[in-house]
Amino acid sequence: MSNKESCSYKEGPLPACAPLAVPMLAAQQSAEPAYESADALAKGTLFPGLDLPFMDYVANCPVEDTPLAELMALDFVCQELALYLDTHPGDKEAFKTWKSFTALAKEGRQRYVEMCGPVTRADTARFDSWVWPEDPWPWNNGKAGKK
Amino acid sequence: MFVYEKKLQYPVRIKNPDPAMAKYIITQYGGPDGELSASLRYLSQRYSMPYDRAKAVLTDIGVEELGHLEIVGTIVHQLTRNMTVEQVKKAGIQDYFVDHTAGVYAQAAAGFPYDAASFQVKGDVIADLAEDMGAEQKARVTYDNILRMADDPDVIDVIRFLREREVVHFQRFGELMGLVVDKMDQRNVYAVNPAFDRKK
Repeated sequence: MSNKESCSYKEGPLPACAPLAVPMLAAQQSAEPAYESADALAKGTLFPGLDLPFMDYVANCPVEDTPLAELMALDFVCQELALYLDTHPGDKEAFKTWKSFTALAKEGRQRYVEMCGPVTRADTARFDSWVWPEDPWPWNNGKAGKK
Repeated sequence: MFVYEKKLQYPVRIKNPDPAMAKYIITQYGGPDGELSASLRYLSQRYSMPYDRAKAVLTDIGVEELGHLEIVGTIVHQLTRNMTVEQVKKAGIQDYFVDHTAGVYAQAAAGFPYDAASFQVKGDVIADLAEDMGAEQKARVTYDNILRMADDPDVIDVIRFLREREVVHFQRFGELMGLVVDKMDQRNVYAVNPAFDRKK
């Protein structure tokens, strides 16, 4: 049997020297292609290849257009790229992309803090008084969080 | 050290109370395959990991799971805020109500309280990462099943997001497994436990 025949996709036996009893999963090859940030947040992943919904439960309402949603989307892209980089630390392109999104998220955070209040307790230092305890707390939307 | 961010990872805006739904979804707060189990599992398994990449993945996913715990708590809160005693009775959640009113308590859908027996820290690289891959799959199925029960688009939207995160985390733990196995004895990866049997 030629090597070509024995190695067709999902067919044929493993070569005798293959590691058996070792869990294996195909690694993602690249951080591209990627969704745009608001889309990524709505879908729950930055990467089309990992976008594997249950039945027809797909993202059909876009995340609303507010400073908070914008910040969530940028932070989400940073998180997705960080998890990718944790298992692909040598991917220089992805690291560059992560750096640029981290800078964008920092700007988005400043815009949100100015309009809506502190995200971290330290952000409170930019206000005239101790506004940290004031709404919006994240679980209280509707009542607050809409500003 | 942890620094709190006063925002959710994903927006939760549920308009209508639905205490019956809250009683299912609370299982992802304090149930066996829930987000509390996930975060404690990953954040606790880190200490015995001999490889830097494993420490990073377990830290970064473990912290995200704490964010998911907050999202699930928010869903339960919004499904039960403003509910009436009539709605409590109609939903059949009187047993939860007498113990916790409209508070969010870490328990499974079947009512038993959170139990750390729902996860392991084995102190062995392959055993722990294999559990983590299984844990992501079990959480994914729980969200699949919650989606089957849900009819409110506000609830479906955020459950769908949380479910997709399980798929992504499964991929990262799988990649991590490949990376750490490459560092072991290629003739027999089970010859020693690299988290315990230090090289001379």
